[in-house]
Amino acid sequence: MSGEAPPNGAAAAPEDAAKDEVPATGQAASAAGGAPPAGAVATAGDAPGALDVDKLFAARLHAARVRPFLATALFALHAVESRRVPTMAVDRHWRCYVSPAFVDRTPVEDLAGVWVHEVSHLLRDHHGRSDRLARERGLTGPGERLRMNIAADCEINDDAFGDGLLRPEGAVTPASLGLPEGELMEDYLRQFRLGPRTQELSWLDCGSGADGLERGWDLGPDGAHGLNAQEQDAVRFRVAQGINGRPGNAPKGWKRWAEEAFHPPQPWRELLGAAVRSAACGTGAGEDYTYGRPSRRSAGLPGVVLPSLRRTPPRVSVVIDTSGSVSDAELGSALLEVAAIARAVGGRRDLVTVVPCDAAARIVHPLCRGEGIPLMGGGGTDLRSGFAKALRAGPPPDVVVVLTDGQTPWPARRPPCRTVVGLFPRQRRLRSWDEDDPDRVPDSPPAWARVVTIG
Amino acid sequence: MPTYTPFVAHDTTSDPAPVTQLDVAGELLTLLRDATTEPRPDTRLEALTLAVAADLPVLLWGEPGIGKTAALTQLAEALDLPLTTVIASVHEPSDFSGLPVVGNDPAVQGVPMAPPDWAVRLVRAGRGLLFLDELSTAPPAVQAALLRLVLERRIGALRLPPGVRIVAAANPRSSAADGWELSPPLANRFVHLHWTHDHEVVVRGLGGTWPRATMPRLAPEKLPEAVDFARRAVCGLLAVRPELVHRLPSSETRRGGAWPSPRSWETALCLIAFATAAGSSREVLSLLVRGAVGDGPGLELLASLDRMDLPDPEVLLADPAAAVLPDRGDLRQAVLDGVVAAVRTRPDKSRWDAAWALLVRAVETGAPDLVVVPATTLATLRQEDWDVPASIEQLAGVVSLSRRADRAATRSAAVAAKAGR
Repeated sequence: MSGEAPPNGAAAAPEDAAKDEVPATGQAASAAGGAPPAGAVATAGDAPGALDVDKLFAARLHAARVRPFLATALFALHAVESRRVPTMAVDRHWRCYVSPAFVDRTPVEDLAGVWVHEVSHLLRDHHGRSDRLARERGLTGPGERLRMNIAADCEINDDAFGDGLLRPEGAVTPASLGLPEGELMEDYLRQFRLGPRTQELSWLDCGSGADGLERGWDLGPDGAHGLNAQEQDAVRFRVAQGINGRPGNAPKGWKRWAEEAFHPPQPWRELLGAAVRSAACGTGAGEDYTYGRPSRRSAGLPGVVLPSLRRTPPRVSVVIDTSGSVSDAELGSALLEVAAIARAVGGRRDLVTVVPCDAAARIVHPLCRGEGIPLMGGGGTDLRSGFAKALRAGPPPDVVVVLTDGQTPWPARRPPCRTVVGLFPRQRRLRSWDEDDPDRVPDSPPAWARVVTIG
Repeated sequence: MPTYTPFVAHDTTSDPAPVTQLDVAGELLTLLRDATTEPRPDTRLEALTLAVAADLPVLLWGEPGIGKTAALTQLAEALDLPLTTVIASVHEPSDFSGLPVVGNDPAVQGVPMAPPDWAVRLVRAGRGLLFLDELSTAPPAVQAALLRLVLERRIGALRLPPGVRIVAAANPRSSAADGWELSPPLANRFVHLHWTHDHEVVVRGLGGTWPRATMPRLAPEKLPEAVDFARRAVCGLLAVRPELVHRLPSSETRRGGAWPSPRSWETALCLIAFATAAGSSREVLSLLVRGAVGDGPGLELLASLDRMDLPDPEVLLADPAAAVLPDRGDLRQAVLDGVVAAVRTRPDKSRWDAAWALLVRAVETGAPDLVVVPATTLATLRQEDWDVPASIEQLAGVVSLSRRADRAATRSAAVAAKAGR
């Protein structure tokens, strides 16, 4: 019963081929950590014994038992014995390289934690995100990749362990770097540098599956037992489905991942822009053809009836929820955005008006009066008066944009113009709470409005 | 000076090839255009080819300048069709819906809608590839006229012959200047393909070597099999997931994209048949299916295809000695679970034994931890008069593995309890 990791099959070839050079990141990690594994691996003379396959797979079994929703992903990983890996590492093709020495000296329960940790890198597409970050922020060199590895580890480790799974010795946590928990790799990456705090980090070489930098031991895209992009997506999808199907068992971080795995968070700026533009460019407003006047091309084509291009700038009314529950910063950013979009669409600032509204609508402000619109208010919310006020304006608006946190009654009937709602999301628990009726849930925005979640 | 110039002029004309600056420039341009091609698999181009071959309206989404037109040129070559490119944003709606021409007696003869010349030429040729570029930067009325052209294949009084294939291209909503977007009914009619540039291809191409995609060829002998496979795939999924049949896009993010409906499932079925007949990879199929019914339902379909590929438990139980189990651990476990489930539904001593033989085989050829859960379940299916097969001794390693994991669980619980205190 030798298990699936071939002791002298696929793993042996790359080992022999590149015994001389140790990848830069590996060096950095081992130098930083002073961890014995890297040294033991580098010296080829005293090669440790064969891989303890039983121990490795017992650990995987334990991991799959305490994290059943990860079982598919754990079993999809193909284990490859490699003496050049400091501890355990993954590549972007879902192979898991394992150092026999590391397996020997690590208890089964810690190994299980490492399994979960490594598979998390792959599920969360850390290598793809690292590559994108490297391109976007111009981060080059092994030092930056090590930072990405550390940041990715922070993202995983703050909620991967506990609940039956032990945190392995020396795991990096945001707390150990003095950073807040629960953030994403991209956020962590901005907040620390390599320095004294990162000196003690061990088992930090999680391989090219974690930070995107090819390692000497990688079998590459043509090696055996790799998963292609479609198969990886299928595994991710099944894991996400498992979590969404029974969300009670999964930690919060995994639930968030499962929700966003195939429906990434909404890029609200773009969506709001698209919604406002589309509302403002619809029939009745914007630039379009009309047969109301003859085209200038008509002169050259006698007998042919041509339409002409005419532009009717849209009137945009922005109703702003100024009740106490919406913060000034939120309003400010959203208002600036709407004003910019509306200007881009209409081209004329005087066509944009702003209606601050809490329990009652305030005075209507034309935007051309400058940026200083007083956003007063603070009490409860009733946006119905805001709607009424906006619609009563001289020439009625073509578009009404509402910025609110949604804790308001909505008009019963669809207003006679397009409506875009910019919604500030609120935790369910924090939603307006009524002493007399604690179970009251405010109405969600009506179906006739286009809703964009902001922030 | 005046006497000198004619001399020079005379000298140059006697030269065999007078070299002007433009000629030099032309030479430089020839050198610049001198590029070779190399064969390179291109999944997106393959997907596009199959969708166009299936005569489905395709919408390419992509930022400007990333080679959509170049791809279409390649596609036209591969399908051996003349390419007609129409830039939508420089046309008027009447160019697509037909220009009304007032005749002598409109009340009697009506007003004919005259088609533009490119349409007339296309119809006369009877075949061709029509590429409607920059759909999203055209004003709404032009878009409306274009959609009629794409979906009903009509330009004014003309109807495009079946030999004409149509592909449209649009910029994504975020970069579209006028906030153009598809309404859900329109989005449902298209196969959406997202076009991005491949960094490597661009760098290599600018260096002088552009990729040459090998085009999929439909194998005539595979056609009935392909149709059968496609029908089984789609019906198999929709039979167990009725809620996937029709689901309007609800969130703002998914507006204007693909979503599942009976119509788009039919599209998906058609695309699966084409991809199967062409022997395309799963990557290509994934692009096509997700482009037709959307990401979520598309992934579910692909996942159920993976399961369709797995060996049938009944076949495995019939001849465990010859069984070939999949290499990938998760699939292997799915097969073993299926085998145990099959024994559970029809328990029988010989089937139970065969299942043990399969588990032994699984342990011999792969990771042992996958076998633990199926073995435990299989053991509970034992009935009183059944003897334990001799082969079960070979599973002793699995039992010790399972115990080892149990001990690890106990230890972690103890550590956690200590930390908690």
